[in-house]
Amino acid sequence: MPENPLPETAPTTTARPLRLGVAGPVGVGKSSLIATVCRALATELEIGVITNDIYTDEDARFLRSAGVLEPERIRAVETGACPHTAIRDDVTANLLAAEDLAADFAPLDLVVIESGGDNLTATFSPALVDAQIFVLDVAGGGDVARKGGPGIGRADLLVVNKTDLAPHVGVDVERMVADASAAREGRAVIALSRTDESSVAALRAWVLDVLAAYRSGAHVAQDPGPMAPHFHADEDGGVLHSHADGDHAHSHADDHDVVAR
Amino acid sequence: MPTPPPATTRSAERTAPAPGTVALLLADARLPGGGHAHSASLEPALLGGLPVDDVPAWMAGRATTVSLVEAGTAVVTAHVLTTGGAHGLDAVARAWAARTPSGALRDAARLLGRGYLRVARTLWADHHAVAAAAGLAVRHGSVPRAVVLGAVAAACGLGPADLVRLTVYDDAQTAASALLKLEPLDPLVPARWVLDACAAAEPHVARVAACTTPDDIPSSGAPLTEGWAEAHALTQQRLFRA
Repeated sequence: MPENPLPETAPTTTARPLRLGVAGPVGVGKSSLIATVCRALATELEIGVITNDIYTDEDARFLRSAGVLEPERIRAVETGACPHTAIRDDVTANLLAAEDLAADFAPLDLVVIESGGDNLTATFSPALVDAQIFVLDVAGGGDVARKGGPGIGRADLLVVNKTDLAPHVGVDVERMVADASAAREGRAVIALSRTDESSVAALRAWVLDVLAAYRSGAHVAQDPGPMAPHFHADEDGGVLHSHADGDHAHSHADDHDVVAR
Repeated sequence: MPTPPPATTRSAERTAPAPGTVALLLADARLPGGGHAHSASLEPALLGGLPVDDVPAWMAGRATTVSLVEAGTAVVTAHVLTTGGAHGLDAVARAWAARTPSGALRDAARLLGRGYLRVARTLWADHHAVAAAAGLAVRHGSVPRAVVLGAVAAACGLGPADLVRLTVYDDAQTAASALLKLEPLDPLVPARWVLDACAAAEPHVARVAACTTPDDIPSSGAPLTEGWAEAHALTQQRLFRA
């Protein structure tokens, strides 16, 4: 083994900041949610943010202009037009940026990594983040939560965003949250509006809870998996399985109901 | 009951893969080393006004100029690590930097070097050549991609001629792959351009493979590419890092 301490590999101890991913389709309010988190926690936590814009550094500039963090603490990485790859199949650019932020502003408590808006199958690899939030919004339609997918089903937290718009888009927020909770088998769901202080307080409390669990060593990074649990029909009656359970011993070459990337 | 594996299987597990196989791994865009966010200077070139019709000639130009700087750096790194001590790497890295005038391109190559070093330290953790590249990264704060490639070549026994070809191919294929994200065209068309670029470099392979000292590394530049890279680094609309 090399004798020198190496900056390329951050120690896998709780000494480094919690890395929190924020994923979800385009336009659901991921940047706005991150600004809300920063605003709610900037006085008590040292925070850095990495954005994964697809075409521009628009998200990074939005967050800088929101004035919730020093501009230097918000960095954009390029994804080569593959936002999905950058958070899952090859996390190198994000990992290096997270290490740089942690080194440049030590000691940081929290590094938030915003995925470039992608489809419902995009989730973060546990090689990059310790916990992840998947974001939907009411304007995307009340049925999206029922459609499921790895982020909706198994991200550490599902946020149903822009609840203040619900009356204008004909969505029943309670029912959307109930659908989401059912799809998530009880995992955390927050109905959020940045203008609803109690919902912001719930988000703030969730982040602090995860941070405390991470620091105590009680938090274990979960991989929502690249795919939803799904049914395989066969002569024995079929089997429902999840890709998070380590059962990969079959091919999806013939599947038509799954989008791999 | 399953049959126990034959004894040959056990010994095969301890056998290293062929160096050519390692070269395939390194040239494969699916290897998670951070390369997918780079365009081998193509996005800067197109933003700078290079017509798409000129891309094949531009790729051949790279294959016979800047790619040979990278290749020579990798070859000399492997030579130094195979024959001498790790102390020689500082001079190799300096020679590479002197032949890479654009700060934006040096930064991009060092970022790629960090990604490649993660790969190398994971796959060849115990090899002294990889440890030497990691040590250079500690001393200098970074290590260019070509030096890491050379260290991996030393670790797996990849010969200098194949190392040159790997470097040239990787650059050409990176540009070809990026082109499909930047311009509409049949994806098979740039595959031909990759082969043409590699063919253009072939007469130079023996010369570059014979490099043994930092002074031997080719110093063939591409000033327009360097200028485009500097301009690209200042833009706010980028798909690729460089």
